[in-house]
Amino acid sequence: MVAPRVRPRLGRDEWLMGGGLLVLALYLAITLLVPLALMLTKSVQDREGAFVGLANFAQYFTNPALSGAIGNSLWVSALATAITIALAFGYAYALNRSCIPFKGFFRLVAMLPLLAPSLLSAIALVYLFGNQGALKGWLFGESIYGPIGIVIGSVFWTFPHALIIISTALATADARLYEASESLGASRWRTFTVVTLSGARYGLISALFVVFTLVITDFGVPKVVGGQFNMLATDIYKQVVGQQNFQMGAVVSLLLLLPAVLAFFVERWAQRRQISSLSSRAVPYRPKPSPVRDLALLGFVGLVALVILGILGMAAFASFAKLWPYNLSLTLSHYDFSNADGGSWASYGNSIRLALYTAVSGSLVVFVGAYLVEKTRVAKPLRTATHLLALIPMAVPGMVLGLAYIFFFNAPGNPLNFLYGTMAILVLATIAHFYTVSHLTALTALKQLDPEFESVSAALKTPFYRTFWRVTTPMCLPAILDIAIYFFINAMTTVSAVVFLYAPHTTLASVAVLNMDDAGDTAPAAAMAMLIVYTSAGVRLLHAWLSRWLLRRTQAWRLQGR
Amino acid sequence: MTTPYLRIRNLSKHFGDFTALDNVNIDIYRGEFVCFLGPSGCGKTTLLRAISGLDIQTHGTVEQDGRDISALPPAKRDFGIVFQSYALFQNLTVARNIAYGLENRKQPKAAIQQRVTELLELIGLPDSGHKYPAQLSGGQQQRVALARALAISPGLLLLDEPLSALDAKVRTHLREEIKSLQRRLGITTIMITHDQEEAISMADRIVVMRDGRIEQIGTPLEIYHQPASLFVAEFIGAMNLLPATRIGHGEIQLGSARLACAVQGYEPGAAVRAAVRPEDIVCTGKTNGHANSLQAEVHDLEFMGPFFWLSLGGGELGEHRLRAQLPSQRARELDLRPREALHLHIPAEHIRLFPNSYSHG
Repeated sequence: MVAPRVRPRLGRDEWLMGGGLLVLALYLAITLLVPLALMLTKSVQDREGAFVGLANFAQYFTNPALSGAIGNSLWVSALATAITIALAFGYAYALNRSCIPFKGFFRLVAMLPLLAPSLLSAIALVYLFGNQGALKGWLFGESIYGPIGIVIGSVFWTFPHALIIISTALATADARLYEASESLGASRWRTFTVVTLSGARYGLISALFVVFTLVITDFGVPKVVGGQFNMLATDIYKQVVGQQNFQMGAVVSLLLLLPAVLAFFVERWAQRRQISSLSSRAVPYRPKPSPVRDLALLGFVGLVALVILGILGMAAFASFAKLWPYNLSLTLSHYDFSNADGGSWASYGNSIRLALYTAVSGSLVVFVGAYLVEKTRVAKPLRTATHLLALIPMAVPGMVLGLAYIFFFNAPGNPLNFLYGTMAILVLATIAHFYTVSHLTALTALKQLDPEFESVSAALKTPFYRTFWRVTTPMCLPAILDIAIYFFINAMTTVSAVVFLYAPHTTLASVAVLNMDDAGDTAPAAAMAMLIVYTSAGVRLLHAWLSRWLLRRTQAWRLQGR
Repeated sequence: MTTPYLRIRNLSKHFGDFTALDNVNIDIYRGEFVCFLGPSGCGKTTLLRAISGLDIQTHGTVEQDGRDISALPPAKRDFGIVFQSYALFQNLTVARNIAYGLENRKQPKAAIQQRVTELLELIGLPDSGHKYPAQLSGGQQQRVALARALAISPGLLLLDEPLSALDAKVRTHLREEIKSLQRRLGITTIMITHDQEEAISMADRIVVMRDGRIEQIGTPLEIYHQPASLFVAEFIGAMNLLPATRIGHGEIQLGSARLACAVQGYEPGAAVRAAVRPEDIVCTGKTNGHANSLQAEVHDLEFMGPFFWLSLGGGELGEHRLRAQLPSQRARELDLRPREALHLHIPAEHIRLFPNSYSHG
């Protein structure tokens, strides 16, 4: 006898959570999927909106002035990636596998570029190697404006990203493999290639693709120091802002989307492999002192750190120097932006507001969203769909997202049109732009909680939101803080998505750096860039202090129990 | 006959093509302590999650106290649950954990306070209310989880491998404690376990499961002494399972020995499995004073303290191997040594026959 199929009845919890999930899915669709889809359709339309098939693409590829940017972008990004990975690997190796002193200090220095917009390194390069640069002679007559500048600038700001990934890969090594290799009589070089390199290979692959995507989709560095050298990201800007050719902008965006999407899949593949390669029985590797190796690595790490500090220091000094390079006396006048073209303290204020709004509403949306994705008992397909939506931003360059927002929110007849040109659209764009990493951070934190909290709560007839508020949120507070600071700093430093979306009353500090530099006010641009650095650093410190305070306050229950 | 408190009828659960539960029927009576026992993947957890509503079944009904709860969400059902991981709220004190389900019921604070004190005493941790779970031992945490589940006085208590995460000593101790608590409160209880010893020592009745089906339901004694299938015979306790052939006259042939036993249901000449518990084999030593006995050689002796494990073969057993449990005192009397031949007596009532292979359904 076959009993009839059971149709589970939904309680209040299930309705609320399922409903919340639906709202989140709609939110992500509106701030992400629909704009992107609209952009795809724009690439096959003419200016009047009529369908023209691949005519725009044909036009693009038959115009060497345009399509030349593809080759340029590819080789410059490849070169910058190769250099960044090599440097980051050496640096990470020294930090994780040697006994050099001052590791904490070196780690900190390496992370400094994260606090600055990518533009900052380019501006510093102009001061160092530009027409009036202090070290101009080092280039043997070559110009910093062009591929050289782009490569150096890109290496500077992508370095910490590569270092974080490779460091993670090198930090988790199985000491038993080294002992086995040693006892089998393998040479140090062979041990290095067979054990170390192959152990870190997924980290390296992952870093490779992440850095490549960062460089090829970056807009700040080539904008400032690219000169006449065309890159895809700057081309989008030129097509859209310079020539108001939105269709061609969409075509270039699509081209830029390709490497980013590829990188996204490779990165996810590599991450999965990296995790599974380490068994729980592994014995952590502890480096033993080796004077020659340690000294050589210390020299290398010191040099890299010096360059990072040098570039940052150059920008800081330039912001205080009266008239580079003729009058080097110190002044605060560049921080008074009233005479500079394209920037003001108001834009700094706007950036702070954007960062705060993004940090608060972003972490709220992301954390509640991740909770619903992870814990909703019903609507499995909706959970999966929402999770996939949350992963999309990782594969979408900021320029592309910004352009997609223009198409969507500025479309006549869109009821959301009122958002166009407001602070709100900047917040929406920034949250969408940095959604994936935050979402994954929140998921990781949630997965560390006992999966049965919700079952227990239901058995005790307690609504899920009460348990969410009283248990889940307090237990995940460190992760929520991490997400908030991530949103804050990225909102401060980002240029790419928002450069298409700001209005005269919502200019931002990072965009002001760009515009002031464009107008020739390089010193105020450096000053504004440094303001961003000071702010990010300050907030970072506040975050560290807050986290420590929180940890101390909750130590009683965070004790690692049996 | 009283009506069952929990009636499970034709319950099935499918995950795509995989059948996790296949037409399960169980009646559980008020105040009973029932264990779902089986190897991992047998469907016992799926069954528990269907009863609780955490993962509702595909087909079939669950009735609790005369109410059809088949399709209800967990919050609309009446049960308390304890998990292997305890799932205690780490950021709340023990007292607040226990009070968690009461606080939602708009009871006066004093009443909640009193109930918590009562429960803390019940689990033997009267002074631990202000502590955080991480400050307690695993066994203590599990008792707190139990108190939290009992706080709202549920009609049904579900225990999902509650003792598996604890070390052996604590486990044995907590076993008795849970059992006596259950008896005192008279609460209908279902416990999942893969540990047969746990099931035998705690349960009023045991439900043995395999591959999403019920193999046998019965008291621990029934399950142990009258296993209904080859699987149950092998899964519960130690068991010799020897290939044999049914011959005439109510006998089987095992090696070259002939042994009498109950042979109903098997044709002469049929290949069968003869199941004999090691403790049911009587060693009579060098003399053979019994019917139903055979002669074999001691291959190995393993001293276990109160008894020896004997590994027997050769003689009339031929290629077959037999394990027997011999009390140490008896072994001393017999002065057994390896390679020695001896006589074994297997009472007919302790030999059970099963078909030669596992049957499905």
